[in-house]
Amino acid sequence: MSRSSPPWLRPLVALAVAAIFAIPLYIALINVFKQSRQVAADTLAPPAPPTLDNLVHVLTGPDSLFWSSLRTSVLVTSLSIAVLAVLSAMLGHYLARHTGWWSRAIMVLLLCGLMIPPQVILIPVTQVLKSLGLMSTLQGLVLFNVGYYVPFGVFVFSGFMKAVPRELEEAAAIDGATRWQTFWRIVFPLLRPATASVLIFLGVWIWNDFLNPLIIYGPREGTTIMTGVYKSLGQYAADFGGMFALMFLATLPILVFYLLLQKQFVKGLTGGATKG
Amino acid sequence: MAVGTIHRRPGPAGTDARGRRDRRRRGPGLWHFLTFAAPGTLVYLCLVLAPIIMSVGYSLTNQALLRPRTEFVGLRNYELLLRDETFLQSLRVTTILTLIVVIVPNVLGVAVAVLLDRRGWLYNALRSVFFTPMVISSVVISVIWTRILADDGPVNQALRALGVREPPGWLSDPDIALYSLSSIVCWQMLGFCVVVYLAGLQGVPQELGEAAAIDGAGAVRRFRHVTWPLLAPALTINTVVLLISAFKIFDHVKVITNGGPGTGTTASVAFVVLQEGFVENRTGYASAEAVVMLVVIAALSVVTLRILQRREVQL
Repeated sequence: MSRSSPPWLRPLVALAVAAIFAIPLYIALINVFKQSRQVAADTLAPPAPPTLDNLVHVLTGPDSLFWSSLRTSVLVTSLSIAVLAVLSAMLGHYLARHTGWWSRAIMVLLLCGLMIPPQVILIPVTQVLKSLGLMSTLQGLVLFNVGYYVPFGVFVFSGFMKAVPRELEEAAAIDGATRWQTFWRIVFPLLRPATASVLIFLGVWIWNDFLNPLIIYGPREGTTIMTGVYKSLGQYAADFGGMFALMFLATLPILVFYLLLQKQFVKGLTGGATKG
Repeated sequence: MAVGTIHRRPGPAGTDARGRRDRRRRGPGLWHFLTFAAPGTLVYLCLVLAPIIMSVGYSLTNQALLRPRTEFVGLRNYELLLRDETFLQSLRVTTILTLIVVIVPNVLGVAVAVLLDRRGWLYNALRSVFFTPMVISSVVISVIWTRILADDGPVNQALRALGVREPPGWLSDPDIALYSLSSIVCWQMLGFCVVVYLAGLQGVPQELGEAAAIDGAGAVRRFRHVTWPLLAPALTINTVVLLISAFKIFDHVKVITNGGPGTGTTASVAFVVLQEGFVENRTGYASAEAVVMLVVIAALSVVTLRILQRREVQL
C-alpha cells in the first residue's frame, strides 16, 4: 500500500480479510451452542437460544466414545512426543557433532524421510508391526509415530545445535563429566526452544492425525479422538449440533496446548525457516 | 552417574572404570554411537526405510489378502498400471489438486503477509486467526466445510436468498467437487504460507524500500524488484512444503467425498493407494502404485528445490 493511503485503510482491509477468512471458524464455534434444527435451517445465525445440550450429550453419551477416545489420544500423543523429544535430541546432537561419512549418510537418509508420504510405507508397516505383535496396539502406533517423525525432530534439533558452543561441552568433559551427563545437564537445557518447537509441532500433528491411527490402531481396538470423530459421522448424520460439539471437544485440548506455547511455536517455525 | 560413584570392576586389562570413561569421552566411539544415535536410527530404519524397500519388493508380486500363494510377477503390476483408468485418473486428479494447492496459498499468502507486516496487537491477533486452521485436524476442517458447502448449506442458502434459482452442488457436482476440495485445502494451508512469508519480510531491510522510494519507485515496483526477490527463501520453503502436503492429501478426500461424486472424480493417488491396499486388499498392486507415487514426489521435490534454490543463490 502506498505511503499516500490513509492510515486507517490497512487495519480496515486486514480486519475485513481476516473476518472473511474466519467465517468457517465462526461457524464451527457458534453451532456448538445451537439446537440441531437451527443448525440445519440457518448455519450462520447466532444461537437462539444458546444451549449446552450438545456438549452435555457428547460428554455423557452412553457409549462414552468421547472419553475412551480422549484417553487413547492423550496416551498416544504424550508417549510419542516424549520419546521423540529424547531420541531426536540425542540423535540430532550426535549428527551435529560428528562429521564422518556414516553420520552424513544417516543425515541424508533422515532428510529423505521428511518427504515420504505415509501411504508409501503403510502396507509394509502393518507387516512389520504384525511380526512384532504390535499391530492394533497403542504401543505399535507410538512406535510408528516415533519412526515416522524422528526426521523432523532431528532436523530441528541439529539446526539448533549450532547455537550451543562446543567449548561448553569440552569444558564439562575436562571437568570429568561423561558424555551422558554433559548432554543432559548442559546441552539439553540449552535446547529448550528446540524442544518446545518439537513438542508442539509433533503434539499437534500426532493429535490431529487421522490416517495412521485409522490403519495401525484400527477401529476394533477403539479409536483416537480424530478417528472417533470420523467414526461418529454416521451416528451424528442428522444431529449437526452434536457433531459440532464433538469436534469442538476434540479440538479444545490441542488448541489449549498450542495457545499456551504459541510463542515458541511461531519462533521455532521461523527459526527453521531462516536457517533453511 | 557421578564420576565418584564409578567402581572399579574386574575385567580384561584396559577396561577398568577409568579406561571406559576415557573411551566414552574420546572421538566418535562406538559406545557414543550406540547410546546417542542408534535408538532413533534403528526405529527409523525398521519403520520407514525397510518398509520402502519392502514396498518395492511387494510391487513385484501378486500379493493379495485372499490369494493363497504369492508369486513373483516381475514388472507386470507396473504394466497394468499404465492401462488402469482408475490410476491414470488419480494422477490427473492429483495434478490438478497439487497445482491449485501450490499456487493459490503462495499467492494469497504473500498478499496477506504484506498486509499484516506491521507491529501491534491487532496484527498479532490477525496472524493467529490465519494460523488457527493449521492447528485444527483435517478431519474437523473437512466436516465443517462439508456442512458449509452442502447442497442446503449456508453458501447455497445465501445464493438462493440472492435469487440464484439453482446454486451449484459444490461437493455433489462431479465437475466442481475437485475444485471445492482443493479450495478447502488452500484455506487450511494459507496460514502456514503467511507465517513463513512474514518471517521473510522481517528479514527485508526497511532502508532498501525507502531508498527505492526516494529513487521514485512506486509501491508495485518496490515490491516487484526489492521485496519479492528477497522473499526467495520463503517461496522455496512454502512451495516444497505445499507440494509434499498436496501430494499426500488423503483425509479431506476420505471425509468429504470418499473419492466421488461419480467415479473417482476426487480420488487422489494417495487415496487410491490406500483404497487398493486396505479396502480391496490387493497389496502387491497397491505397492506398485505407492512406488510410482514415491518416485514422482521425490523427483518433483528435488527438481523444484533445485530450481528455486538456484534463484536464491543468484541474488
